[in-house]
Amino acid sequence: MTENALDVTEQPKNSSGEARPQRRDRHRRGVRYYLEAYAFLGLLILAAIFFSVWGETSETFPSAANIRTLISANAVVAIVALAALVPLVCYEFDLSVGAIAGLSSVFVATALSHGTSIPLAIGIGIGLGIVVGAINALLITRIGVNAVITTLGMSIIVGGVVNQKTHGIAVTGDIPLGFSEFGSSTWFGIPKIAYVLVVIAAGVYYVLNHTPYGRYLYAFGSNRDAARLVGIRTKLTLGTTFIISGALSGAAGVLQVARAGSADPKVGETFTLPALAAAFLSAAAMRPGRYNVTGTLVAIFFLAVLNSGLNLAGSPEYVNNYVNGAALIVGVALAVRLGRRQEL
Amino acid sequence: MIALRADGVSKAFDGTQALDDVSFELEQGAVHALLGGNGCGKSTLIKILAGVLPADAGSIEIGGERHELRWMTSTRARAAGLHFVHQRRSTFPELSVMDNLSIGRGFDTSLGRIRWSAARRRAADVLERFQIDAHPDQDLWELSPATQVMVAIARALQDQDDSSEGVLVLDEPTASLPAPEVELLLTTLRRYATAGQAIVYVTHRLEEVFAVADRATLLRDGRLVDTVSPKDLDHEGLVELMMGRTVEQIERLERAPEGKAVLEISGLRAGPLRGIDLTARSGEVVGIAGLIGSGRSTLLKALFGVVPLEAGEVSIDGSSWTVSDPRGAMAAGIAYVPEDRQKDAAFEELSVCENLSLTVIPQYWHHAVLGRRQERRDALELFDSFLIKAESEEAPFSSLSGGNQQKVVVARWLRRDPRVLLLDEPTQGVDVGARAEIYELIVRAVSDGATALVVSSDFEELARICDRVVVLGRGMTVGELQNHELGAEAIAHLANTELRS
Repeated sequence: MTENALDVTEQPKNSSGEARPQRRDRHRRGVRYYLEAYAFLGLLILAAIFFSVWGETSETFPSAANIRTLISANAVVAIVALAALVPLVCYEFDLSVGAIAGLSSVFVATALSHGTSIPLAIGIGIGLGIVVGAINALLITRIGVNAVITTLGMSIIVGGVVNQKTHGIAVTGDIPLGFSEFGSSTWFGIPKIAYVLVVIAAGVYYVLNHTPYGRYLYAFGSNRDAARLVGIRTKLTLGTTFIISGALSGAAGVLQVARAGSADPKVGETFTLPALAAAFLSAAAMRPGRYNVTGTLVAIFFLAVLNSGLNLAGSPEYVNNYVNGAALIVGVALAVRLGRRQEL
Repeated sequence: MIALRADGVSKAFDGTQALDDVSFELEQGAVHALLGGNGCGKSTLIKILAGVLPADAGSIEIGGERHELRWMTSTRARAAGLHFVHQRRSTFPELSVMDNLSIGRGFDTSLGRIRWSAARRRAADVLERFQIDAHPDQDLWELSPATQVMVAIARALQDQDDSSEGVLVLDEPTASLPAPEVELLLTTLRRYATAGQAIVYVTHRLEEVFAVADRATLLRDGRLVDTVSPKDLDHEGLVELMMGRTVEQIERLERAPEGKAVLEISGLRAGPLRGIDLTARSGEVVGIAGLIGSGRSTLLKALFGVVPLEAGEVSIDGSSWTVSDPRGAMAAGIAYVPEDRQKDAAFEELSVCENLSLTVIPQYWHHAVLGRRQERRDALELFDSFLIKAESEEAPFSSLSGGNQQKVVVARWLRRDPRVLLLDEPTQGVDVGARAEIYELIVRAVSDGATALVVSSDFEELARICDRVVVLGRGMTVGELQNHELGAEAIAHLANTELRS
């Protein structure tokens, strides 16, 4: 409340004179902000460089084949992570993302092996995701069941459906060649699946950052009581995040069939934890303190590079567990600290 | 005798000096007010004394012992005899009075089992010793707000054998209390002080300083301004010391609102309200006064669709309107600034700009793109016209001082050009300077033909800014004051009559 402060507010548009101290201030914060924002990306690049020059992996890691596998295998998990991200922006957890991806992949593979056309099969996969997501949404917003409980229960039920359908045996059958080829071939040396990921990520980014709906999600995640009092339809807003999450998980299931050429009934559940971990970690990358799309992708590929490098170096499986678990805890601890520092 | 001496307390955050070499002394048996505008550093000082934040430098002397504040922890603070009742609720409304008193102190156990009968007996003793009208088994939320604060104080002091020990620190204990309850609390504090208790009292309300404080230490921009005796100063003098400049007192504007009726309410029933009739005209600021439980906040909530309307008719600009939900209320031209900013209006992690635009987001949606550049430009303009001071429009809402946060919330609604502006305690937790600015904003908003309903437990405030004050009691209108009859005493008198009858 000094005279100085008053002056600044009286003439904020005078670009040369009064705005300068303000801008310098922002710049000072800026350095720190960018350090926080890009630390994870820096680690990703460092890890990639390290495995490219380290004796143990310098031959295998930077090979085109390894990079391609790394990208296409993780593109599917990345889409599941984006699915989990959307409700997470509202501060709600969707634990059914992996199970829905598994459900979708099993039904898509079965449909394809029975001669269903590819567009229809894709529709079935995404449609199933939407249906399960909508059931989640109704239970959570209409009946008021806690989202963790709802989606945990739903993932168990969906797992049951998958088992009933497959008896635990992978659906291999006659997947049309064109379909599985899409999953294993490249454009300009980059797996085609990666392009799908880019399109989906761009879509989610657009929705979260460039639509009123996205803004409402962040507002809801910040304070749901206040969100209702600025006229946001809170139940509708929250409900739709689970439907979007279901649709994206369904799409991930479709891509999994294209990539693997079959549907393993157990693959879905292996997606859930890495996907949720990446979505959580996103608050520590790119936009500190906020769950975001690019941060999710950085986190997925950071973990992927670490795991791939360690595997190629011949380290035992359990080392990966240590690394993944520690990365999640450290990353989230970092995000919490960033968030808390803003409060001070 | 000196109960507490603080020396050279300093603390910096991210390069900003929040506290710069602050020293003060507290006499035993005295109430010592800690005063200053928002962002002056008094909250930081309290947090440092409590051991919640480490200081960069400084020490305190209490009970003949010296403590370096750099190494202060909450355990050490308590052991040294510093007892805190913090601004944010530190009690547990869902737990019983007994549980609230026992938590933090520990339960008496035998073989690991809580000895409930002993705990209950002890709680009853404490309640009696502090003369609190409550039963150990009552849930805390059932008590009146003042009694809840008294339970918090009793909890802090319960283990003192003698009130000449230790120091009680109260951080804005009256922030959510209506006037009569404030009086009750202040009387209680005076009694404790007379018994020898040293009390540090942080508040925004200057009347309370005059009513209860023996000494007052003023902070501004993290620096000590002076320590004074309030009885040597008048209201303006104290404000001047606090703000470093004279704040223009807003004189009540003698406007004769001849405007058309904007908001008409008849037979409104909701929650505790049992049939309210009210008309608010264009250009008019209508105050709603009453004690807690009178239904004054419920009236605003019912109009905004937050609590369901049981009966009654509402019309805006002559056409009748069915209250549905906040969304519908907004569409009808109603704006609502809720009482509890932190809980009901703040999006702390979002930027100031995002906080400002949430009420009008669809306006920025053109050709499938959110006009974020325009949004930021508008935010800067709002900074200007609503006197908001922030580091930048991208700064998180939580980084603003209380007064600026409140101005952001008000601006968020006024930018919609509402027909009816509902404000619940619009200046709660706001310093004197920002308060005057908020009054200005309210007056400006109605001068374009809108109408405002203002609920406040600060009757002085109502008398100053309102054209007319409606007093509620037990869910009904008990009276109405305007023109020359409008004054804080008259409002207080009306609000309290229903209790006596």
